[in-house]
Amino acid sequence: MMSALHTRLFGLLALCWGCALIYFYHSQRIQDYLAKDFHTLVLAGGIGIIVLGLYSLINPQEKKSSCDHEHKHDHDDDKGHSHDHDHGEEEHCGDCDHEHEHEGHGPVATYLLTLVPLIVAMNYTQDKLSNRGMAKKGLYEAPALNGLDAPAAFTREDLEKRVPKNEEGEFQLQLFAAYWAAGDREVQSIYEGLPVELEGRVAPEKIGNEAGDRMRIFRKIMSCCAADAQFVGVSMEFPDDAKRPAVDEWVKASGILTFETIDNKILPLLNVRAVVPTEEPYSEFLLRQ
Amino acid sequence: MTDITRDQLQDGSYEFLAIFLEGLPFIFLGTLVSGFLGTYLPRNAFEKVLPKNPILAIMASGLLGAVFPVCECAVVPVIRRLVKNGLPVSCALAYMLAAPIFNPVTAISTFKAFNDSYFVVGARLGMGYLIAVLVGIAILRVAHGRFLKPSAQAESGHEHHHPRNLNSAMNNSLRDFMDVGLYFTIGVILTSLLKTTWIDPTTDFWKGLTDNSILATPAMMGLAFFLSLCSTSDAFIAANIGNFSYAPKLAFMVFGPMMDAKLLFLYSTVFRWKFIIILLAALFVLTGGLSILAETVYENYWESAQP
Repeated sequence: MMSALHTRLFGLLALCWGCALIYFYHSQRIQDYLAKDFHTLVLAGGIGIIVLGLYSLINPQEKKSSCDHEHKHDHDDDKGHSHDHDHGEEEHCGDCDHEHEHEGHGPVATYLLTLVPLIVAMNYTQDKLSNRGMAKKGLYEAPALNGLDAPAAFTREDLEKRVPKNEEGEFQLQLFAAYWAAGDREVQSIYEGLPVELEGRVAPEKIGNEAGDRMRIFRKIMSCCAADAQFVGVSMEFPDDAKRPAVDEWVKASGILTFETIDNKILPLLNVRAVVPTEEPYSEFLLRQ
Repeated sequence: MTDITRDQLQDGSYEFLAIFLEGLPFIFLGTLVSGFLGTYLPRNAFEKVLPKNPILAIMASGLLGAVFPVCECAVVPVIRRLVKNGLPVSCALAYMLAAPIFNPVTAISTFKAFNDSYFVVGARLGMGYLIAVLVGIAILRVAHGRFLKPSAQAESGHEHHHPRNLNSAMNNSLRDFMDVGLYFTIGVILTSLLKTTWIDPTTDFWKGLTDNSILATPAMMGLAFFLSLCSTSDAFIAANIGNFSYAPKLAFMVFGPMMDAKLLFLYSTVFRWKFIIILLAALFVLTGGLSILAETVYENYWESAQP
C-alpha cells in the first residue's frame, strides 16, 4: 500500500496527465492527432483521470483493515535496486500474520519517465509530420497493386452516378480515389484522361521532377491516430506560365488525370489546368471506413 | 541542430503524442476496471464461472474478447488484477492474447480493409484464438512463480480482509494506473524513437522483401513489433503496405496485437522479463508458421472452392 505522500504525489501526476488530455481536446489540437471518434474519449478520459487524481489528493490514505502483519515490499525504486522493508503502522492494513509483496515505482521515477517526455514532446511537436516523416508514410509511394481480394467492379456509369462535378464539368474526385486507381488497372482505364478537381495540401515533388515543373497534392488517411496515418499523393505538372501554390497550402487543383510509369511503378499524374487556394478542413484526415 | 535531427525530433514528438493521447484513456479505463475488480470481485469467483476442465477453461477464456472487447493496452491491467483475484494464469494469458484480435471491432476493420474478404477475417481471428489457447495450454503445468512477477501473483493461503470501499478501489486504480502508465509511456517512447530513426517501410530493403518468400513473413512481424499499431487499425496498414502475399500480411496482423514494443513494457507489469522474451519467441514462431500454413490452405483449397 502506498504512503499518503506517495498517493498524493501520484494523484498530482494523474491530475497533470488528465489536464494534458483536456488541454489537447479544448485547444482542438487533438484533431491533428486522433480520428474524430476518439475526441470524446479523450475528453472523458481526461475528466476521469482528473477525478481520480483529485480523489487521491483529498483521500490519500486507505482505511485500515483487519490486517496487522509484516509487509514485504519489492520495489524497483528510484535508485534502481530492489529491497524489502517493513513499514510503520500507518501503512499496515490488517491483522494477518504473513508477508505481502507489493511492487511499484516511486514517484520520482514515475514523474521523470512520464512527465518529462510529455513536456518535451509538447514542446517540439509541430502537430504534423515533417516532409521526411510523411515520405516514410507513403507520400511518394505508388499504391500496392490490387492482387488480394479485388473490390467489386467499377464502371464509368458508377463514376457518373457517384462523383459530383464542378462548374467546369470536372469530376470532384477524392484524392485517394485518384491515387488508388494507379493500383487497379480496371479503374485506371476509366480515370485515364478524365477531367478532375482534387483537393489537398501541397508538398514539393521528388519523383520525375527533373524539369522542376511539378509539385505534389496529398491527403492523410487514418483509422485511429496519427501513428497509423498514411499519406497519399498525386503529382501535379504545371504549364510553364502557371502560378505555383506554396508548400503546405490547401488547394483545389483542376486538370486532366493520367497515369505514368516511373521505375516500373504506375503513378497518378494531374496535368494542371488551374489551382485555387481553399480553406483547410476541420480535420485534414480522411477516415477509413 | 541538423535538419535530420530537427525533423526526427518533430516527428518523434508527434508520434509520441499521437499514441500517448490515444492510449492513455484506454489505460485509464483498464486500470479503473482493474481497481474496482480488485476491491469488489470476490477471490476465486472465476472458479464458479469457468469450466472445471482447465483446457476447456482456457478455450472459453480465449473467446471472452468477443463478449468483452478490449484493446491490447486496456487488457493488461485488467488481467493483472484478475490474476491476483484468482483467475488461472493460463486463462488470463489466453484472454490477454486473444482479446485484441478475437473481437467484433477488429473483425469488421479487417473485413473492410481487405475488401470484404471472409478468408482474411477468418484466418486472422482463427489464428489469434488458436495461438492464445496454445500458449495458455503450454503454461498450464508451469509454476506461476517462474513467469509471474511477485506483485502480480494471486494472494493465497489465507483470507484477506482488505476493505471493500470506494477509497480502496480508487487507491487500487491509482496504483495500477501509475504502474501501467509508466511502462506504457516507456513503450511509447521506444516506439516513437524507432519509428523516426530506424524503421522506414519505404526503403529498398523493405520493398525488396516483397518477393522474398522466406524473409517477408518474419520481416512483417518485425515491422508490426516496431510500429506498435492498435489492433483495430492495423489491417488498413497491412492491406496497403506493399505487394506482399497473404502470409506476411496475416503475420503482421496477428503478431502485432499480441507483441509489440509498447506491449513489451506493459507485459512487464505482470510477467518476468525472461518469460516475456520466451513468449515473444514462441509467438514469433507460431504466428509465422501458421501464417504460411494459412496461405497454403488459401492457395490450394479456398481459392479453388470459390464459385
